[in-house]
Amino acid sequence: MGKFMQRVRGLYVMTGVLLVWVTSVSQAADSPYEAAAEIDRLLNSRVLDSTDSPVGLADDATFLRRAFLDVVGEPPTADDVLAFYLDDTSDKRRVLVNALLADEAFGKNWARYWRDVILYRRTEDRAVAYSRRILVDYLAKEFNSNQPWSKIATAFMTATGDVREKGETALIMAQSGKPEDVTAEVSRIFLGIQIQCAQCHDHPTDSWNRQQFHQLAAFFPRIAIRPDRSGEQPTFNVVVNDSPFQYRRRRQNNNRYRGTPEHHMPDLDDPSSKGVLMQPVFFVTGSKLPLGTRDAKRRGKLAEWITAPTNPWFSKAYVNRIWSELVGEGFYEPIDDLGPDRECSSPETLDYLAKGFTENGYNIKWLYRTIMATDAYQRKSLSRRDYDQPPFLANCPQRLRGDQLYDSLVSALDLDIRTPQRGRGQGSYRGRRDPRALFNESFGYDPSDPRVDIGGSIQQALMIMNGPFIAQGINARRSKGLGALLRANPDDKDVLFELYLKVLARGPTATEKGTCLAYIRRVGNRNEAFEDITWALINSTEFIHRN
Amino acid sequence: MIISLHHQSEVAINRQSVLGRRDFLRAVSLTGAAAGLVSWSDMMALQAAELRKQGKACILLWLGGAPSQFETFDPKPKHANGGETKVIETSVPGIQIADNLPHTAQVMDKICLIRSMNSREGAHARASYLMHTGYLPTASVKYPTLGANVTQQLADPDFDLPSFVRIGNARGAADGGLLGVEFNPFVTNNAARPPENTTITTTERRYQRRLGLLGRLDKEYASKGAQQEVENQGKLYDKAAKMVLSPSMSAFDIQRESKTTRTAYGESPFSAGCLLARRLVEFGVTFVEVNSGGWDTHFDNVERTSKLCSSIDQPYAALLRDLDRRGMLENTMVVLMGEFGRTPKINARGGRDHYPRAFSAALAGGGVQGGQVIGKTSRDGASITDRPVGVSDLLQTICHGLGVDPDHENMSSIGRPIKIVDGGEVVREVFA
Repeated sequence: MGKFMQRVRGLYVMTGVLLVWVTSVSQAADSPYEAAAEIDRLLNSRVLDSTDSPVGLADDATFLRRAFLDVVGEPPTADDVLAFYLDDTSDKRRVLVNALLADEAFGKNWARYWRDVILYRRTEDRAVAYSRRILVDYLAKEFNSNQPWSKIATAFMTATGDVREKGETALIMAQSGKPEDVTAEVSRIFLGIQIQCAQCHDHPTDSWNRQQFHQLAAFFPRIAIRPDRSGEQPTFNVVVNDSPFQYRRRRQNNNRYRGTPEHHMPDLDDPSSKGVLMQPVFFVTGSKLPLGTRDAKRRGKLAEWITAPTNPWFSKAYVNRIWSELVGEGFYEPIDDLGPDRECSSPETLDYLAKGFTENGYNIKWLYRTIMATDAYQRKSLSRRDYDQPPFLANCPQRLRGDQLYDSLVSALDLDIRTPQRGRGQGSYRGRRDPRALFNESFGYDPSDPRVDIGGSIQQALMIMNGPFIAQGINARRSKGLGALLRANPDDKDVLFELYLKVLARGPTATEKGTCLAYIRRVGNRNEAFEDITWALINSTEFIHRN
Repeated sequence: MIISLHHQSEVAINRQSVLGRRDFLRAVSLTGAAAGLVSWSDMMALQAAELRKQGKACILLWLGGAPSQFETFDPKPKHANGGETKVIETSVPGIQIADNLPHTAQVMDKICLIRSMNSREGAHARASYLMHTGYLPTASVKYPTLGANVTQQLADPDFDLPSFVRIGNARGAADGGLLGVEFNPFVTNNAARPPENTTITTTERRYQRRLGLLGRLDKEYASKGAQQEVENQGKLYDKAAKMVLSPSMSAFDIQRESKTTRTAYGESPFSAGCLLARRLVEFGVTFVEVNSGGWDTHFDNVERTSKLCSSIDQPYAALLRDLDRRGMLENTMVVLMGEFGRTPKINARGGRDHYPRAFSAALAGGGVQGGQVIGKTSRDGASITDRPVGVSDLLQTICHGLGVDPDHENMSSIGRPIKIVDGGEVVREVFA
């Protein structure tokens, strides 16, 4: 029985309980479903002009696979598909989304997403070996217990301690604790503002200037990462230096193991000089702290100001990102480049949604529930629009992230995966034996990059076309996977149906059935023909996308 | 916007290569082929090379971990900092190098040594990134590695094989970055075996049959609104299948070389890498990296560097000779370097530590004037006393030799123009 069928069945038993819970949420100012209706109204009335009309809603099978991949990062099993198909209650999509959000896999999936957001922009490669796992563990826990986004963001900005023990240190570790790089990432990830463009020169088309970037960096001068070899395995600590003494700044190898009391903006005409002393000022609100403020207060106050409801960019950055991941296109693109000088495709809608997110206490699951209840989310998928077409007429096929594709392959082929032991003392190459990590090296991508820029590579194609584990996985003589289907179903039509369910989470269309049955006849060897069909399905464009 | 610009440049490159091919055929038919001087295999190689713009190629031999300049190209036998390492004469009177490199010494007439390389970056990954991209890593811009830039500028996008091949992996070597995954290096870890996943697991007939089925099934998905996705995936699969089934895949098989040739390159994995690099360039690959590791000699420097040298010395010299003999050296630049140098002072464990302030690199081929030394370090090796060459200067010089415009700008994902090389000047004497 499918893991998720249990999930869904368990849920039916709990429907009564859930209804009570959902009702109590409805009483709040913005129930997700009322908010969703308002969003569709806003999009329909203001964004879409009369000549273009949105496409219809996706069918159940498409919605099911989409919701599974989006929320828990795994495809539904054949049993899940059948259970969902047979369910004739009118609110089954909502019930499904709630069930998926309550599953532990939700936290894990989105923890991996944020791992990629943070680590793909690393300037310190050792962050991969030291922070990757603990970062996922930390975030999964926070997401599953539905901690407010403001709390999680604050933890990243104010982190200290051992990078192998505390996942929230990952952002600082990934940037070697260097104030300018940490500042750039804090602004990009939590505000959606690429203020680091102003690091070296004022940008003619941007409101923020170079001084404001360095005033923001002035919240982070006292931190550094320092190697620590005292324990069983080498690690780094995010350390704080509140001592008023200025230590010798840089040794010949450019390592920075100790923070400095204050930040200086480099003099571009004289890079070797000390530069201009900077006071910590938050550029959005102008809030400031005096020089000499201790680190805990500096970073604590900055986090407070950044996550305050009066700062619109904090909620907009998060909402824009999650909307884009779910609906296929952001209000702003690239999704981490917002700001007063950027174009927003539907400002009223984003404002409304960001306001709702803020008023609901940065409740992460509220946001998923709301977006996934909109028609904008539930529509059929079409290839990305041309830029002269209005936005949000359809959902958009999204290339699966490495983790999603890995789990899809494991599930489609019933692959046996041995999880490596977490040994110690293996250094930074330990992680490389993890098959998921190896797969991600080939298929992973930076989720902040515009999806139109993310193409497939030859090496990816070769891996699924010719990889030895694929050849083994599709072998008709295996006891699992295709082999099991062939033995259990004497009729080729049944095998074909089961195979489509297993690989694409839907039954074959009439055309596909015709094509495949003709192929089987032509090949004249049942095992061989079905191996070929399985090969074609896992190499298909549909398989590597969520629709 | 970015996409359409990219497509235009691809078309432009295509046009150039088409013209180039025509010119080539005319040239060859009038001269070599007509006179019966060009053998069929030479024709293949020449034609492949001509498909690249101007036929230029580059081989980067990367010594990861940072080799000691004192035990390789800049020995200091008369100073305590030089340690026990001895020098030998080379084929060029007046140029001496460490006795760890006897084969290299014999081909010094083809090599231009730069003894005045310098940077400020002494951490392996960051320095390696700097040497490969010309920039320090930042969170906001993913700078393309040299091989990606050169490939984007010179390679024919319709070439059967990948145009940028990395043999073995190197920390901090970067990839296609903002140019996109299609400019990532094609990585093969073992030069003595076919690259991973390029051997088909069925008969070719069945493979073709499968591809046909895949195409038919994908049509159904396209008809449901995913035309763009299917079209992109189709192109990728066509390219991958074309590569796997291409006769040119034999380029990856160094066993096809004569025993004499293989013996000349030696026995180490680096030997296989160098030989493979030559074959690939011969078949039309634009940029090949061959990686050697383990040069981070914080202890027992003399003994370890000597051993490491013996693994690269013979293949390096053999590669230059072989390219020269085949008439390929003129169009193929060979760069030998690591991420920085090592400290003049020998530490208590008989090792040398990180030292970016003065180190060496070696250039050959691609118009480089061999048999000369550029730059000089002080008697104790601690500082540069003549003609300092920065990382940007070196990259400018490499671009110049390959006919790549270092000022060419690519757009980052947030629309910031990024030059292939920012600042620096071509070291003109290299080509004198």
